[in-house]
Amino acid sequence: MHAPGPQPKKRLLRLKLNGRWREDAVAEKQLLVDYLRDVAHLTGVKTGCDGGECGACTVLVDGEAVPSCITLAVRCEGRHVETIEGVAKQARLSALQTAFHEKLGTQCGFCTPGMIMAAEALLRRNPAPSDGEIRAALSGNLCRCTGYVKIIESVKAAAGQLT
Amino acid sequence: MTAPLADFHLAQPGTVDEAVAACAKHPGSRYVAGGTDLLVNMRRGITSPDQLVDLSGIDELTALATDAQGMTIGAGVTIAALARNILIADKYRALAQAAAAIAGPSHRTMATVGGNLCLDTRCIYYNQSEWWRSANAYCLKNRGETCHVAPQGQRCHAAFSGDLAPALLVLGAEIDIAGSQGQRRIPLSELYVEDGKAHLTLAEGELIVAVHLPAKPPASRYEKVRTRGAIDFPLAGVAVALTVKGKTIGALRIALTGTNSRPFLLDGTDAFAGKALDDKLLQAIDRLVQKQVQPMRTTLASANYRRLAAAALARRLTANLFAEASA
Amino acid sequence: MTAAPTPYGKLARRGVPLIDGIEKVTGRARYTADLDHADALVGRILRSPVSHGDIVQLDVSKARAIEGVVAIVTGADCAHTYGVLPIAMNEYPLARGRVRYRGEPIAAVAAIDEETAERALGLIELEVKALPAYYTSADARAPGAVLLHDDKPGNLERDVHHTFGDVAQGFAAADLVREEQFSCAEINHAQIEPHASLSEYDPATGRLTVQTVSQVGYYLHLMLAQCLEMDSSRIRVIKPFIGGGFGARVEALNFEIVTALLARAANGKVMMQLTREETFITHRARPQTDIKLKLGMSKTGRFTACELQVVQRGGAYAGYGIITILYAGALLHGIYDIPAVKYDGYRVYANLPPCGAMRGHGGVNTRHAFECLVDRMARELGLDPFAVRRANLLQAPTRTMNDLVVNSYGLSECLDRVEHASGWRARLGKLPPGKGLGMACSHYVSGAAKPIHRTGEPHAVVNLKLDFDGGVTALTGAADIGQGSSTMVAIAVAETLDISLDRIRVISADTAITPKDNGAYSSRITFMVGNAAIDAAKNLKTILVKAAAKKLEANPEDIECGEVFRVGGGDQSSLSFADVVAAALVDEGAITVKGSFTCPPDFHGGKHRGGAVGSTMGFSYAAQVVEVSVDDATGLVTVDKVWVALDCGHAINPLAVEGQVEGSVWMGMGQAMCEETRYLEGLPAHASFLEYRMPTIAESPPIEVQIVETHDPYGPFGAKEASEGALAGFPPALVNAIANALGLDLNEIPVTPDRVMEALTQRRRQARLAKSVKAAS
Repeated sequence: MHAPGPQPKKRLLRLKLNGRWREDAVAEKQLLVDYLRDVAHLTGVKTGCDGGECGACTVLVDGEAVPSCITLAVRCEGRHVETIEGVAKQARLSALQTAFHEKLGTQCGFCTPGMIMAAEALLRRNPAPSDGEIRAALSGNLCRCTGYVKIIESVKAAAGQLT
Repeated sequence: MTAPLADFHLAQPGTVDEAVAACAKHPGSRYVAGGTDLLVNMRRGITSPDQLVDLSGIDELTALATDAQGMTIGAGVTIAALARNILIADKYRALAQAAAAIAGPSHRTMATVGGNLCLDTRCIYYNQSEWWRSANAYCLKNRGETCHVAPQGQRCHAAFSGDLAPALLVLGAEIDIAGSQGQRRIPLSELYVEDGKAHLTLAEGELIVAVHLPAKPPASRYEKVRTRGAIDFPLAGVAVALTVKGKTIGALRIALTGTNSRPFLLDGTDAFAGKALDDKLLQAIDRLVQKQVQPMRTTLASANYRRLAAAALARRLTANLFAEASA
Repeated sequence: MTAAPTPYGKLARRGVPLIDGIEKVTGRARYTADLDHADALVGRILRSPVSHGDIVQLDVSKARAIEGVVAIVTGADCAHTYGVLPIAMNEYPLARGRVRYRGEPIAAVAAIDEETAERALGLIELEVKALPAYYTSADARAPGAVLLHDDKPGNLERDVHHTFGDVAQGFAAADLVREEQFSCAEINHAQIEPHASLSEYDPATGRLTVQTVSQVGYYLHLMLAQCLEMDSSRIRVIKPFIGGGFGARVEALNFEIVTALLARAANGKVMMQLTREETFITHRARPQTDIKLKLGMSKTGRFTACELQVVQRGGAYAGYGIITILYAGALLHGIYDIPAVKYDGYRVYANLPPCGAMRGHGGVNTRHAFECLVDRMARELGLDPFAVRRANLLQAPTRTMNDLVVNSYGLSECLDRVEHASGWRARLGKLPPGKGLGMACSHYVSGAAKPIHRTGEPHAVVNLKLDFDGGVTALTGAADIGQGSSTMVAIAVAETLDISLDRIRVISADTAITPKDNGAYSSRITFMVGNAAIDAAKNLKTILVKAAAKKLEANPEDIECGEVFRVGGGDQSSLSFADVVAAALVDEGAITVKGSFTCPPDFHGGKHRGGAVGSTMGFSYAAQVVEVSVDDATGLVTVDKVWVALDCGHAINPLAVEGQVEGSVWMGMGQAMCEETRYLEGLPAHASFLEYRMPTIAESPPIEVQIVETHDPYGPFGAKEASEGALAGFPPALVNAIANALGLDLNEIPVTPDRVMEALTQRRRQARLAKSVKAAS
């Protein structure tokens, strides 16, 4: 027989969210995507699948792109989580945001936040990616509208490789 | 919000010993590292452990070191770290290729070596929602009586789909396992048995701590077939390692994933030592693979395709590797 | 009317980013699931675990007794069917008496949270007496099969038999006659946003407000009134941002009606978010299709006759089925000159989720079979695939045998463009082993000339409001679902008035605010709503010009409209836009004008039964070349590049046209290469993005788009549709390219690696057999 399990509980989660530290009481089972959407009201983070398949929920944790729908929020203790809402600085669009807008890297827009976050992680690590590197870095992010052609163009434009 | 997970407690130990102790305290606990496999299954209601023991805060699991004996890779090293390691790309090429071919990039950031080696087996009747499985009276692997893949049989045929294992198998990897009885080291091949329901030989509460690779590995390659260029698990994955002796094969090892309930080293490749690589030999490899793989209807792609593709990959990788190694 | 180059195009020539693009790239865009619903109940649906059966018992009393469960609804709460065609509404939002597919909604719960709702679902007692279930068209049509719907013998939703011209004579006159069978798997729209709906019922006022993912709020509005027995004036349907549609959300969907039923039962607000699996089960996409096609061809490549049989496995309910099966025959026409055509179509009921409309509705699988067979016959006759198409071109304007009207026709130029861009002549037959080139053509309607609801109203109405602030607000019921239709409306208005795009706001699809619109489907918005927007802008221009003329003491005919109004011929007297607005508002106040567009009856298609389907005022045309590499060891096909040309009449926004063409070609690639739904005894085995394999960026090819402009005489600024026409050409171009690479003719799509390998194995087997027969003789 199993020993009675420990009682599930909320704990205080302290993390940096889009540059600002905050604390919230969070259930241990809460997924990062739900914490971001329901607690922090950052609804730019999207849910497109039933877990880990589409990339729409991609956010940065300490600069690395992760699927927030299969990440436990409490595992982000002390870490820096960045979402699409934190990308524009003082309401100025980032290079990626500008490029996705101007080059039509977004159509319906639902995959866009996750796509931009995955691209953001790429450009931070590799400011001048090749087409192949862009494809590799975004290969976990599904888009149903664009055929990806203008997404690649957008990332290249943001990297200053297109006019 | 997403459908809520069942309640659990999250233990966050700082050492392997603490992790083992935390697990021992609550039988039925599960270790979680990257969570890219377990959390998906939990979200589908396939498993709902009372306690998760989080391995991500254990520094000793993330070592990646080389010495005269070879390379030690901590079980907590991420797949992304593996894929971008220059030494691995150079010396243990199959491993680097396997790592780079796993899932998508954000999964690789989270997923770990230990997690990929202990990946749950997969089946089209198993990796479904609670509604789906319950409408189908569940299955032998999970809460049910019958294996829908082979209803007459006695065992579960879910397929192992980890990419790292075949690469590590041909490279001659050993693993360190920690448990309440202390640590033990076994050849990687002994981690697995041909049973989709219980394909790991780990005792309850045991975890993989590290993988050891020999200092002088043979040349190696890995390739998988899948429908898309990313995300998909292998329909079949093949790793090959070989040495060349003059104009003949010195030693040849072939390992497979995606076709059986375990990854396995192909039997009978020892016989190829000292032989020239010609069509006849490649056909012999083809026959060996086709004979030993046991793909079942666990994927939407046909089982026969996985058999043929595994053989084709084995032939091609062997031929290419031999040509390169001879050059 | 003659086709003349449009005088418009200042904005269009450079292309305009989406007017709602900033919201999307910043994460500020609110989709249904993002709407504030902190105070809403959680809705969940109980779905049938069996494929076919009679509901013997449905007891919700235990579920209702749980604390936190606020409302439960079942089939007993709605005795009205819903659907598309008034003659074919045979589906209840929640099953009554009979269930016909696994996953069909049976009951629904509104509870204070997700856990409670889930627990309640688990306590609903359901007993179903199983009936035989059918998962293929053949099984469902077999003699003695139990009927899914008592009034539909043979489990046939509709059979269509159309003959135009003398088919027998056509085949007799042919130098080559070939017949082939093709099979196209069922696919799904797989828009990235899962279905969601937020409904609020206010018992005090008796009003219902629904915010939902619909492409056609108006249709949903009608069905809500019907199913909830509400006066339609008490209902409001609002479109938030929508994460793609592709036809998935053209019909009123069961969960939308169910959410409204729950909201009313709960006297409050209910948020329903479907899982990805449920979104797949809701389905309404392209049916599995079996095709038998017979074609006659002369030595010079002229078509002499065509005989087509199409069987569509339509799923358990009618939905759009009748229209789909009619489209599959009608869209044989309007692209080539075929002297004689016979069509037999069968839409079959089966115990699977209902199919519906999906991008390229009805025409895609027919086009696939046709373009594949044409290529094979060309090869047999030693003709170039381009030459065969050119031998059968239409001359616009023309009327087809089935009474479709072709007013502008750029297929010839499309062929020239892609032939040149791809280097076809220099490269065909000279590629390395395993590589191949293939081509195909396709077309699509710019909206149905005869709408589903024949109310006598115009096909589109747009309102413009101009007030003290100098801003022009365009109100349109057309749903922007990501395709950029609101941007198109803004451009149409700005260009007509020659004013800055920044002056214009577009409010899209809110039934309380925007004029009724038939919504986002059949690629109707650019053509119809674009024309209505121009009409409205012209009416506004008349008012402004009159006011400016009065103020400037000039003749209205001499006034040039724009950001600055001038008297023509001289620039001494001018007025700013703001001055003109101020002048126009004197005595009148805020200005509201209307514009509309109607397709005249002459374009409504043939008088034969079903003849309205396929009718349109403007067909788009496309040609494409696909280059592939095939790995014959693993059966893996890689698309290296696509060249596509689309005749969209005129590109109102070239950037958006390119995006639509790329997206549609790519969606065709998904259908051709890797996407398919698969059911295991009626259970959807594909209902995730892991098993439903839409292509990732890793294997998606560069797509080079050429825009061909034929300046349609009736399109807005000469424009036609751009979102669907190029899709259908991809699958046959791919299969033709594989034939070119391997000499292997594949008759099934998608051409997944296992199918390619199977075909290769079979060919080897046949070759061995032939060899041994030869050796023995």
